[in-house]
Amino acid sequence: MSAHVATADGHHHADGAPVSAYHESLLRSPVFLGMIMFLGSEIMLFGSFFTIFFYMRFTHSPWPPEGVEIPKEATGINTAILISSSFTMHWALVSIKRDRRFGLVVGLFLTLAMGLTFLSLQVHEYLNLGFTPSNNGFASGFFSLTGLHGMHVFVGATLLSIAFLRACRGHYSGAEHIGLEVTGLYWHFVDVVWILLYTVVYLL
Amino acid sequence: MWLRGSWVRALWVAAFMGVAAALIVMGIRDLSGRTAYSAGVVQTFIMLFAGIGFTIGIGCWDYWWGYLIGRPTPAHEDHSNHGAYSWKDYFKVNTDHKVIGVQYLVTTFIFFMIGGMLAEGMRAELATPGQQYFSPGTFNGLFSVHAALMIFLFVIPAFAGLGNFVIPIMIGAQDMAFPRLNALSFWMLPVAGMCMVSSFLVTPFDAGWTNYVPLAVHGPDGQTMWVMGVQFAGASSIATAVNFLVTIVTMRAPGMTFWRMPLLVWANLATSTLVVLGTPFIAGAQFQVLFDRIMHTHFFDPTGGGDVIAYQHIFWFYSHPAVYIMMLPGFGIISEVIAIHSRKPIFGYKLIAISTVAIGVLGFTVWAHHMFVSGMAPWLRIPMMFTTMAIAVPTGIKMFSWLATMWRGVIHLTTPMLFACGFLATFVVGGLSGIFLAVIPVDIATSDTYFVVAHIHYVLFGGSVFTIYAGIYHWFPKMTGKMYDEGLGKLHFWLTFVAFNATFMPMHWLGLQGMQRRIADYPSQFGTLNFFISIMAFILGASTLVFLYNMAHSWWRGETAPANPWRALTLEWQVTSPPPIFNFDEPPQIVGSPYAYGVPGARHAVVTVHAPPQPEEVPVPVALATATREEREAIMSALKHILVVANQTVSADRLIAAVRNRATTDPVRVTVICPQNDPTDAWVVNEADVRAATQARLDGALTALRRAGIQATGYVVERDPYTAVMDVVEEDPPSEIVVSTLPQTRSGWLRRDLIERLRDGTKLPVEHVVSDAPEMPRA
Repeated sequence: MSAHVATADGHHHADGAPVSAYHESLLRSPVFLGMIMFLGSEIMLFGSFFTIFFYMRFTHSPWPPEGVEIPKEATGINTAILISSSFTMHWALVSIKRDRRFGLVVGLFLTLAMGLTFLSLQVHEYLNLGFTPSNNGFASGFFSLTGLHGMHVFVGATLLSIAFLRACRGHYSGAEHIGLEVTGLYWHFVDVVWILLYTVVYLL
Repeated sequence: MWLRGSWVRALWVAAFMGVAAALIVMGIRDLSGRTAYSAGVVQTFIMLFAGIGFTIGIGCWDYWWGYLIGRPTPAHEDHSNHGAYSWKDYFKVNTDHKVIGVQYLVTTFIFFMIGGMLAEGMRAELATPGQQYFSPGTFNGLFSVHAALMIFLFVIPAFAGLGNFVIPIMIGAQDMAFPRLNALSFWMLPVAGMCMVSSFLVTPFDAGWTNYVPLAVHGPDGQTMWVMGVQFAGASSIATAVNFLVTIVTMRAPGMTFWRMPLLVWANLATSTLVVLGTPFIAGAQFQVLFDRIMHTHFFDPTGGGDVIAYQHIFWFYSHPAVYIMMLPGFGIISEVIAIHSRKPIFGYKLIAISTVAIGVLGFTVWAHHMFVSGMAPWLRIPMMFTTMAIAVPTGIKMFSWLATMWRGVIHLTTPMLFACGFLATFVVGGLSGIFLAVIPVDIATSDTYFVVAHIHYVLFGGSVFTIYAGIYHWFPKMTGKMYDEGLGKLHFWLTFVAFNATFMPMHWLGLQGMQRRIADYPSQFGTLNFFISIMAFILGASTLVFLYNMAHSWWRGETAPANPWRALTLEWQVTSPPPIFNFDEPPQIVGSPYAYGVPGARHAVVTVHAPPQPEEVPVPVALATATREEREAIMSALKHILVVANQTVSADRLIAAVRNRATTDPVRVTVICPQNDPTDAWVVNEADVRAATQARLDGALTALRRAGIQATGYVVERDPYTAVMDVVEEDPPSEIVVSTLPQTRSGWLRRDLIERLRDGTKLPVEHVVSDAPEMPRA
C-alpha cells in the first residue's frame, strides 16, 4: 500500500502521478497474500484443537470439572495487555507509512514489550495453576490451546524483534515496509485468536 | 565438493541437533524430578530437531538466517543455486521450480518402490492360508507403513512434483512465488519418509494409516515416528499449497484470465485450497495423539473426560478431503492429456473447472461416511450418505466431458493417452464401488472387508497412479529434453493395466464373501483366489521395473525431443525442451483458450523468443571518421579499451570520475553498455518508457565523457548484463571492465552475482563502482 492511500481513489499519488497496477493492492503482494493463506491454515489448526475442546465440553458436565480453578480476572488483565499491543502495532505501521521513524521504533518496542509481558504472565499462571495436562480432559484442552497460542505469541515476538532490530538500523520506509505489514497481520491474528480463546476457555 | 560438503553438513547438524535435544530434554526431566528417559518424549524431540537440523544443514535456511539477523542478504544466495547444470545439482538445495519438480518425482518414486515392496511382502504372506513369513504384528506394520508411504510420500508429493514443474510455465511465470520455501518443502519430504521407514528399526507402527485411537495411543514406539513423519509431510504439503495458490493468483501472464487457465491449473488451485484448509486438521489430530502418548493428556481417553470418536471426526475431516487432494490434480492431468492427444477442444471447459471446485467444497461435507460403523451419532449417517452420493455428480460431469472430448476426436494412442484411457475405465469401477459404499446398509455389510481394499485401490491406483503415469509420460520430453521409448511405454501400460485389474478385481468377490482386511491369515476356502491375486500382484510390481528402465535409459541416451512433440497449445510446450532457466525471455501474452485444437488459426498465447544477438553497429567518433582504415585501426589499438557496464547508475558522478581517473594515466577509449533485461522489472513497467529513460541517462554519460576528451561510444542492449559483456568481449576485447551498480541491498545484478561471474567468465580485471542514483531520470 502506498503512502498516499488517503487520496480519493487510491490509484494516484498525491502529486497526481499514476501508480503502477502492481502497487494498487496489498493482495497483489505475494508475501502478504501468502501470509493470508498461511493464516487460513493456522485457523484450521486452532480449529482442530477447539473441536476437541468443544467435543469434551458438550459430552461432560460439570464443566470445568470440580476442583479446577482458573484465574479469570488476572488473565483478563493479561488479555487487555495483549489487545493493547495490537493498537501499538497499528501505530507503528501507520507511522512508517507517513515516514515517521519515531512512532515506528517506539510502537514496535511497546508491542514487543507487551507481547513478552503477556508470555511471562502466562508462564507464571501455568506454574501456579495447581493442575497439569494429565489431570483431566479440561486440563488437556486448556494447556494445549493456551500452549499452542503461547507458541504463536513466541513466534510473533520473534518476528517483532527482527522488525525492531531492522527499524533501529534504519530499514523500512514509507514506500517499502511489506515486512512490517506481514508481521502486523500475524500479530493481529494472534490477538484475535486469543480473544476467542479467552472467551471460550476462561469465560464460558 | 559442494555436494559432499552440504550432505556432510546436513548429517552432522542433524545428528548434533538430535542428540542435543535429547540431552536437554532428559536433563530437564531429571532436574524436575522425573525419570530422565522416556522413550516417547526423547524420540519426539530427536526426530523433530534432527529433522529440522537436516534441512538447516543441507542449506535451506542459509538465506533466511542472514535475513533474520538483519544482515544485507548475501549476494551469492539468490540465483546461484538456480537451475541444474549437471546431475549433481539435483542433490543440492535448488530454488528452480523445474529442478525441484524433478527432485520431487524421483524421491517419490523411491518411496513408491519401498511402499510397493511392503505390499509384495503382504501378498507373499497372503498367497496361501496360514502363517508363512511374517508374524501378525509385523504384518500390521507392513500394511500400515505401505499405506502411509503411498499416501503421504508418493501420491500427494508426486502431484506436487508434477505441478511444480508444469504450473509456473503453464501460467507464463518465471518460477514459483517463493522459490526458497519451495526448496524447503521438498527437503522436508525425505525427513518425513525417514521417520516412517525407520519405524521398522524399532517396532513399526501398526494401527493402520488411519492411526485410530486407542491403538495409536497404546501402540509401540513406531507410533511416535508415524506422528512425526506426518507432521513433516503435512508441513511440506501446506507450504507447497500456499506457494501454488500465491503463484497462481499473482503470477499469471498478461491476458491469462481465470477462464483461460488450463484445467491442470484449476485443479491445483482447488487442491491447494483443500490442503491449506484440511491438512492442519490431521496435524492437530496427530498432535493430540502425540500428547496423549507422551504427556498423558486425555483427549481420547474416556476415563479422563476425553472421547474416542472425536479422533475419528477430526482425522476424517482432513482425510476425506485428502482423497480429493490425491485425485483432483489427476483429473487436471487427464484433462490436458485427453484434449491434446484427441486433437479436440476439451468438452465443457467451464463445467469441468466448476465441478473441480464443487468437488473441493463438497469434499468437506462427507467425512463421517468413513464412520458408519464407529458408533457415532446415528442421525449423522443419512446426511453424510446424501452428500457422498452428491459428489458423484461433479465427478460424472468430468467423466462425460472427457468421453465427449474423445468422441470423434483424432485419437493418438500414445502411452500417456493409453494411461488416460485406462484411468477412465478403472476409475469408473472405483467410483461405482464408492457409490455402493456410500449406501449405509451396504457399507455396514462390507466394512473392513476386501471390498473396501478393492475400492481404495481402484481409486488410488487405478485413479491417481494411472494419472501420475500419464502425466510423467506426457511431460517427460519437456522435463528431460529426451523422448521416452514408446514401445516400452506401451508394454508398461498393458502389463500394468492387466495385472492391476487381475489383482484388485477379484478382491471385490473376496470382500463380499467376508474376507477380512488387515489380517495376516484367512479361511482356507479363499486360498485359490488369493494365490492368483498374489501372482498378479508380483507381475504388477515387475511392470514398474519396465517403467523405471524406460525413464532412466531414455533420460540417459534417449532420442532428443522437439520443443512440442504433441503439437500442444499450452505455454509449457511453446518453450524449448527442457525449458530455459527462467522459462520465458519475455512475459508471454495470452490471447485465447488453451484447448482450441482443430480450430483454424486459434492461438493460446504469443510467446516472444529473442533472436540471437546481432552485432551492434558502433557509432564512430568524429575524430576517427575522417581517418583511413589503417589509421583508424592504429589509433584504436593504441588506446586502452575500457568497457563500462551500468544501467541505473550510468550517469552517476562516481562512475564518470572513475573513468576519467583512468584517462589521466593512459589514453583510453570507452564503450558503455546499458543492459536492459531485468527479469523483475519487466513485469510491471512499460518497456518503451524504460528504454527511453535509459537512453537519456546514457546520452548524459556519453556527453560527460566526451567533454572530458575521452573517446566514448555506447548503446542500450536488450540482453542480460552477463551475456551482453561476453558479446563485447568476443567482438572487441577490452583490457578492463568497470561495472557500476546501486548499493548491495537494491541491486538486482549483485543479487545475481554479476561481479564474480564476470571475473570468472572474462578473466579480466573488473572494477566495481557503487553509486546511489536518486537524481536519475526513471521511467
